[in-house]
Amino acid sequence: MASVKRQRPTDGLAVTQKVFVRSRNGGALKIVREHYLRDDIPCSSVCCDDCEEYYRPSPDGQPSEPILSGEPLEITKNGIGRHYLILDTNVVLNAIDLLESDKVFYDVVIPQTVLEEVRNRSYPIYMRLRALCKNDDKRFVVFHNEFKTDSFVSREKGESAQDYNDRLIRKCALFYSQHLAKHKLSVVLLTSDKNNIEKAVNEGIRTMSLHSYVSLLPNYSELEDMLPSNETFSRQLTEISYQEYYSPARLMGGIKSGTLFQGTINISSYNFLEGSISVPSMPKPLLVLGRENLNRSFNGDTVVVELLPKNKWKKPSTEIVDEETINSNGVGDEDEDEVVISDQERRLLAEHAVAAQGEDQKVIPTARVVGIVKRSWRLYVGQLAPNSASKDQVGGNAAKSCFVILMDRSLPKVRIRTRRARELLGKRIVVAVDSWSPTSKYPDGHFVRVLGDVEDKDAEQEALLLEHDVEYRPFSKNVLDCLPKEGHDWKVPEKLDNGDPQLAQRRDLREKLVCSIDPPGCVDIDDALHAQRLPNGNYEVGVHIADVTHFVKPGTALDQEGASRATSVYLVDKRIDMLPMLLGTDLCSLKPYVDRFAFTVLWEMDEDANIVRVDYFKSIIRSKEAFAYEQAQLRMDDPAQQDELTQGMRILLQLSKKLKQKRLDAGALNLASPEVKVHMDSETSDPGEVEVKKLVEANSLVEEFMLLANISVAKKIYDEFPQVAMLRRHAAPPATNFEALNDMLRVRKGMHISLESSKALADSLDRCEDPQDPYFNTLLRIMATRCMMAAEYFSAGNYGYEDFRHYGLATEIYTHFTSPIRRYCDVVVHRQLAAAIGYEPLHPLHRDKAKMDLVVKNINKRHRNAQFAGRASIEYYVGQVMKNTQSVHEGYVIKVFSNGIVVLVPKFGVESLIKLESLGDIRTSHFDEDLYKLTFTDKNGSERQVSVFDRVQVSVTSQLDEMTGKRKAQLLLA
Amino acid sequence: MSRLELYSPEGLRVDGRRWNELRRFECQINTHPNAADGSSYVQQGNSKVLCLVKGPMEHGANLAAGTKLDPNGPVLSLNINYPPFASNERKKRPKNDRRLQEISIILKRCFMKTIVLKNYSRTAIDINLTVLAMDGGLLACFCNAITLALIDAGISLYDYVSAVSVGLYDQTPLLDMNALEENDLSFVTIGVVGDSDKLNLTLCEDKLPLDKLERLISLGIEGCHRLKELMDLQVRVAGGQLQERQ
Repeated sequence: MASVKRQRPTDGLAVTQKVFVRSRNGGALKIVREHYLRDDIPCSSVCCDDCEEYYRPSPDGQPSEPILSGEPLEITKNGIGRHYLILDTNVVLNAIDLLESDKVFYDVVIPQTVLEEVRNRSYPIYMRLRALCKNDDKRFVVFHNEFKTDSFVSREKGESAQDYNDRLIRKCALFYSQHLAKHKLSVVLLTSDKNNIEKAVNEGIRTMSLHSYVSLLPNYSELEDMLPSNETFSRQLTEISYQEYYSPARLMGGIKSGTLFQGTINISSYNFLEGSISVPSMPKPLLVLGRENLNRSFNGDTVVVELLPKNKWKKPSTEIVDEETINSNGVGDEDEDEVVISDQERRLLAEHAVAAQGEDQKVIPTARVVGIVKRSWRLYVGQLAPNSASKDQVGGNAAKSCFVILMDRSLPKVRIRTRRARELLGKRIVVAVDSWSPTSKYPDGHFVRVLGDVEDKDAEQEALLLEHDVEYRPFSKNVLDCLPKEGHDWKVPEKLDNGDPQLAQRRDLREKLVCSIDPPGCVDIDDALHAQRLPNGNYEVGVHIADVTHFVKPGTALDQEGASRATSVYLVDKRIDMLPMLLGTDLCSLKPYVDRFAFTVLWEMDEDANIVRVDYFKSIIRSKEAFAYEQAQLRMDDPAQQDELTQGMRILLQLSKKLKQKRLDAGALNLASPEVKVHMDSETSDPGEVEVKKLVEANSLVEEFMLLANISVAKKIYDEFPQVAMLRRHAAPPATNFEALNDMLRVRKGMHISLESSKALADSLDRCEDPQDPYFNTLLRIMATRCMMAAEYFSAGNYGYEDFRHYGLATEIYTHFTSPIRRYCDVVVHRQLAAAIGYEPLHPLHRDKAKMDLVVKNINKRHRNAQFAGRASIEYYVGQVMKNTQSVHEGYVIKVFSNGIVVLVPKFGVESLIKLESLGDIRTSHFDEDLYKLTFTDKNGSERQVSVFDRVQVSVTSQLDEMTGKRKAQLLLA
Repeated sequence: MSRLELYSPEGLRVDGRRWNELRRFECQINTHPNAADGSSYVQQGNSKVLCLVKGPMEHGANLAAGTKLDPNGPVLSLNINYPPFASNERKKRPKNDRRLQEISIILKRCFMKTIVLKNYSRTAIDINLTVLAMDGGLLACFCNAITLALIDAGISLYDYVSAVSVGLYDQTPLLDMNALEENDLSFVTIGVVGDSDKLNLTLCEDKLPLDKLERLISLGIEGCHRLKELMDLQVRVAGGQLQERQ
């Protein structure tokens, strides 16, 4: 290293400051800081020769040079002449945009005092100011006035920090004006504080307000618009404060008296400031708009809401609002005047609300959250906000506050404190939410662990599982201890009369020609079938389901684990099993050529697939073959195959067609989902291509018999256990769900979906055909599916018989029986059925209604999560596939907002938002809400209209969202 | 939360120093002539440390019973007294604070290499350190204070050991860190023997890029040399006064 000239500042004057700060817990904390004063701080003016020796090179040898020009702007009016500007904090905060303009403000001095004040008030503005100082053209300098002997003043006793800072700034201005006087340069202090102006003028400093200074400039007229509206306007930079929640007693009372409502809040995935909440007493969900009204609720929280006065009732927003597009006090935040209304008025309001909804006005009652009953907080996956970590270019060791943007866009950012901000940047991390105090805009949380890099396959997969609350850890030892000791060597006993009374009850069906038909590559084979012609001309059809309950006994650790996982989760390249591999893929799986225990439903059917007799029993089978769908199809289609097995399959096929027809006649719906399948490259396990799922007749063959088995079993267990039978229902969709869709159909296509019954719905869906567009019908089915209610599991005692209906399948009663390896519901049903046929007594666990309710609740939740996880996994892989390609595809507009449209691309099964900004000119756009039409001028200048159901060409690319680290389909109108 | 600019683009640190400047260094020796054989007071910025040395003697007061004296050199015992009022947060330290114990081991090792061992076989030397105020550079202050107190006690040393901490802010090395900087940045404390380039003490408790270490150490050595000059000056002043009195 070159010679270091070291100067001890002790030669100069060292001042020690003592500051007393009250700490949070009420104690006093003494902070003592050293403060060295020095002379060698240059004024940074080119023409000043006194400061020449003060320019020191930086440690890596970069020379520093004066920045302020020798020929600054000259204003002849008021005798200002050539001058530099010194800015006060309030000017910087209010007029940072103006400062950044290239038309004005050159040669500006920022005193250190101001810089620090700005930093404390608003970090983003501080960053912009620092960026300005780096900009060579603007000639902004920071003058460290507090470290320079000549411009430092000590704080006086009793002087407020604000006054002291003002005095420091004035002293700085004074220093500059005296220092530069001999070079005929003046200094103008700009401040918007009237007091400060007065004091400064008394001290002989040339001081002006921003307005009066700008009005002296030659290009005033240009700049006028950029001035902050009001000089005295002080930006509220303090974080917003939320309303305190009501006391529990008040909440309870309010709910009882019908003035407050409890429900689960559901935040729109398009607009994170819009929540809706379904309350039993209202026909339609209530709207909760804006940060203040949402009052710190998370998506999925159980909250208590209060109706807002009628003049605040609103339409649901037709805009798309992302967190990133919203700055601190932007759109969507209500100006919140304290609303005080009496209980009586509230009751009245509730009546009005019901009335308003009934009248089908487009205004929807709005509400605000006044209490939270139960938080839905769990572990969340997200990534560090990019700006919060680049904040400090330097690897500091002290903990810093950073924001974590969660993967779920309907949730707010979470503030965490971490020492490893830089390390964590660009990683998927897990955070837990701890609290959300009324004074903080965002919730506080803490870092839990790192999953891996963003976009890394394993990290993304784990993130996805965590995000959907899927238990994916390996099975614990006591779970594995419940498995048969023989492991893979377990065999069905040779002799059936070995004294085991249960074994004796099993029927030996090993001679039957049983086969299984499954998707290719399936290893957990739940079901197998056989059929044969009986001497009386009827058919014997058997559905054999893996006998999982033989291995999973109620009350064991294995059973508990299964109950808590509730379902297997299928991701594109991974399966998270509900039961350990040994059972799922070997001992229970109805593999071909080996003996397996099964639970059999045996029908006798006539030629027209009417059930003559049904029998349920446990059995032993030996599957003759395991087919993939296509393979089975080929075999049935091949006339050369005349063996008995194929014959049996043909019987099955023929019967299944009849069953299907019956079902459709009864009004079963044929709905559609834009599901796709991702092909994996087998060697690199990179996603290869995306394909829309194809169906062959064999699919439907299996499906029909499974449905039939489920229905038969449902009837049986309901007869035996009318209170606790595990069933599945699908409620009819409320007409309101279809209102929007029907309105769109009517306006755009002149069509209508009728909702009287599932039959009517099915028929009307069939009628909605657009001759020009064969896909239109499928599109409509996809959209109709979204208006449907979700099917759910329930225990029979919770609903009346008429509510058991499965709307989609058009059957009176339904359950899940056929996939016990991957669904816990089926396990329960197996046990109930076994008890119903007297095979073994029903375990008390499944007799107790309260316990069953818990099981059912968990199953429903897990089932939903598993579906979401599966979809998210496909979405991720589709994103990876598209990463490498850009192509133009056909898409359909399914939603129109005033500032964007949502387009579905069937080829990839993706839908994505196209914002108006990327479509064309925002200013000329016109949104016709009644016609669902958006008119705008596109990038080429020609007028363009887009409305719902339009077929459009879109170019599909995939883009990494910097904020969430999610890869999303990026669509652009082609 | 407001964070400070630890090192501004203009090249000034949070307390107004430049990167290669030491804090105000003041020291005195023979501050407690009646209480101990050697005593010193060292002040680096707002860090203030007092050191008392007793010995060489036949039985160390601080030594655990049954400790055998070493025929090849003295037995050093080091006691650190860090009262709650010395640091910003008034927290009571446990009796055997691990960090302080570690520091005392490091200091012992350092001074066993500095004391002329052969002169002190079968003796004990007790060193008592008291922190009056702490604003960064704990180990460095201790080391400097012990050096001065040992000199005051008349114990023969090969040379001064002067110590200073050096931190790294991004690419910039910073000399003699205060508490604010220490909280936020990685740093290394080094002790240098006299005017040489020999290090008698290095301690780094943070992660540091290895390629920067050399630069930090070379800056630290220069700082140490300067501190040694200052200490030497003070020793000579004290010596002069002693002569006058006799």
